[in-house]
Amino acid sequence: MTANEVRLCGLLLREHFGEVVEKVGTHLLKNGPETLRTIIHETGMPLDQVKKSLCVLMQQGACTFCSGRKGPGSPAEYCANGDRILRILRYPRYIYTAKTLYGDTGELIIEELLQRGHLTMSETVKTVADRLTQNMEEGRSMDYSEVSSSFSKLVETHFLQRCPPVGVEKKASSSDNPAPPVTNPESAESFPDCYKVPHVTLIGRGKRPLVTEDGEEQRNAKKRKLDAQAHGDEGIYWQVNFERFHLHFRDQTIISAVANKLDQTSSEIVRTMLRMSEVTTAPLAPSTKPLSANEIFRSLPSSYSIQRQILDQYLSLLVDDPMEFVGKAGESGGGMFVVNLHRALANLARATLESVVQERFGSRSARIFRLLLRTRHLEQKQVEDFAMIPAKEAKEMLYTLVSENLVQLQEVPKTPDYAPSRTFYLYTVNQLPTARMLLQNCYKSVGNLIERRLFETKESKRLLEKSQRIEAILASLQASGAEPEQLTEVEEMITAAEKQQLSALRLHVNKLDSAENQVDETIFLLESYIFSTSLTG
Amino acid sequence: MAEVKVKKEKGVLDPAEVEKRIKELCEQFPQGITDHVIQNDMPHLEPQQRAGAINRLLSLGQLDLLRNSSGLLYRLKDTQGSRALVEKGVRSRDIRFKSNLPLTEINKILKNLESKKLIKAVKSVAVSLNSCRCSRANTLNVLRVLLLLSKIFGSTRLGPGPCLTVEVRVSQVDLSMEDIETILNTLIYDGKVEMTVIVAKEGTAGSVDGQMKLYRGVNSITAPTGLVKTPCGLCPVFDDCHDGGEISPSTCIYLSEWLDF
Repeated sequence: MTANEVRLCGLLLREHFGEVVEKVGTHLLKNGPETLRTIIHETGMPLDQVKKSLCVLMQQGACTFCSGRKGPGSPAEYCANGDRILRILRYPRYIYTAKTLYGDTGELIIEELLQRGHLTMSETVKTVADRLTQNMEEGRSMDYSEVSSSFSKLVETHFLQRCPPVGVEKKASSSDNPAPPVTNPESAESFPDCYKVPHVTLIGRGKRPLVTEDGEEQRNAKKRKLDAQAHGDEGIYWQVNFERFHLHFRDQTIISAVANKLDQTSSEIVRTMLRMSEVTTAPLAPSTKPLSANEIFRSLPSSYSIQRQILDQYLSLLVDDPMEFVGKAGESGGGMFVVNLHRALANLARATLESVVQERFGSRSARIFRLLLRTRHLEQKQVEDFAMIPAKEAKEMLYTLVSENLVQLQEVPKTPDYAPSRTFYLYTVNQLPTARMLLQNCYKSVGNLIERRLFETKESKRLLEKSQRIEAILASLQASGAEPEQLTEVEEMITAAEKQQLSALRLHVNKLDSAENQVDETIFLLESYIFSTSLTG
Repeated sequence: MAEVKVKKEKGVLDPAEVEKRIKELCEQFPQGITDHVIQNDMPHLEPQQRAGAINRLLSLGQLDLLRNSSGLLYRLKDTQGSRALVEKGVRSRDIRFKSNLPLTEINKILKNLESKKLIKAVKSVAVSLNSCRCSRANTLNVLRVLLLLSKIFGSTRLGPGPCLTVEVRVSQVDLSMEDIETILNTLIYDGKVEMTVIVAKEGTAGSVDGQMKLYRGVNSITAPTGLVKTPCGLCPVFDDCHDGGEISPSTCIYLSEWLDF
């Protein structure tokens, strides 16, 4: 992991789990797999705290343990999973997607699972039903069966999956394999039952938290008793399948790119193609399975009323398009078509790079950048001529781009002495390394934004605490039926200036939050592009 | 006294008018005039006076002296060059060919005219040295028209097709095919236009060697990416920014301005 990534992971951990977890997490990220003793020794923290932090990380799936490298019997080593920690940044997007696809119930299910790492189905259903009931009007409640059907739907569409059983891994390591893979925990996909919903007996409705002041003790006891009931799914834990969400994001990005480039109708055709191949295509395949024009025609939603001939025209238009989102794989069945997923990602990444150059250095520099992207190696004179930019300006822009590492300079000497007069200087753009560099920049930017947000909230910590206290007082006063005069008196404890400050703070935090999500979209695109190139080699 | 008066009577025209008349004659006969023509036109003009006027014009660089089989020919010099300039812009080499003046002389004249803001030097739009130079404003006009047309028609054919004639007429410049291709290429690099090559029948308008280039105005496939919507994506001191440093996210002035925006 790079320094930028470790920093971002640390910030995310601090924000979500506190500073102790951050310390342990970053320590593990920096130093690789370590035993419990070394962690305690090197961080200088008490055993109790380290253990708890490791538990938190493990619960979130951000940390794994395996038997030591020194052979059987050696102490277990702990290893942090940086990629998993970076996913925290994308939580809002997962939750939002679940909301748009499966409504409030889906949203809450994903939210609970993300917050708690992994849960059994019965626990999730109960918590979600309770939360939904809380927000409903008095006298109505959410049925468990409704929530569990949403849960099953999420599992069917592979948005949720079973956690890999822990026992299996241990067995494999203790049996005939003397040297088990240490750092490679098996993925959830490799277990045959990972999308099988167990039979759960859950009858009842969501409950409201009791309004009457029961003793805390009593309530906890009740809860424990309730949980103790067997639902038939003990030991089967579920987690969010991030890969599935990423495939969904990728498809959405491709669809919106087609819509921008061509029009709404063609994007609907691509959407249909992607939806049809959702189940049949392997997650990491470079393109979808071929679909015939007839199949596509039949699967098009009838509301778009696209005629067969028009569909054919659209398909040939999509195939001819230089972006090559859609390719032709054969002639049978009215033509077989595929969506070139990896090429689409490469094109989208290229557009991202171009837009970065365009926004940062102006459209003329972007022209030079695109020129170099399309024509590979060019001499300075050729750049000036082809881009139709006066020599002086072109030189300046080119040198700026070189100094920012967006354009590379290649020397080709005619003689082995590299004398400048006998050397060609060729300018070129390498898409993949540039994308990698921008990705690091993105990590740093998000880190900066989080840092700033923490700073802003820290600056007005006193104010925030005050407003919270006053809100609490107000709520308790209202509950006890206080007089309106009393209420206004309490409200006036916050001055106008303070109110203004608070609203400004809220605005700032929101702005920073949304900026973080926006940068994360760039991160997602660049990450998937880099990952896709690593697959094709 | 009397003699002087007679002389004046004879030379009814003063030198300025003589010069004007000669220039008019030259304009009438753009291929050039001989001494004879001037004599016929102004019979009462003394040879001396005539010679003086012509010499003055020559020294001013307004007349051009050419040797012909029948004798000397006078021709207006600059009018032709400037007419060419007005029409579409010329290269200095073309002026030299047409005016038959040495290169240094031409450069001097051009500099002179340029200082009077009558003409201006412009860069060639084309990469190739053989094409004409035309002014930047015109280039931009062509670009605009091309974009407009491609937006309207979806795709524009490059070649002497109907679309293109319209464009060329609007731009008022006779652009060669190469010029337009260069312009279109820059538009491609701007991401505003894309090109596809298709097979065309030989003899179809716009086809070259059995190929035809089709151009189309396009929208970019993505909105500006998320990174550049934040100040950090555009920050000039991004690489110097560290937590707790002189430049740090907590004290960043760019972020503060952006937040208060």
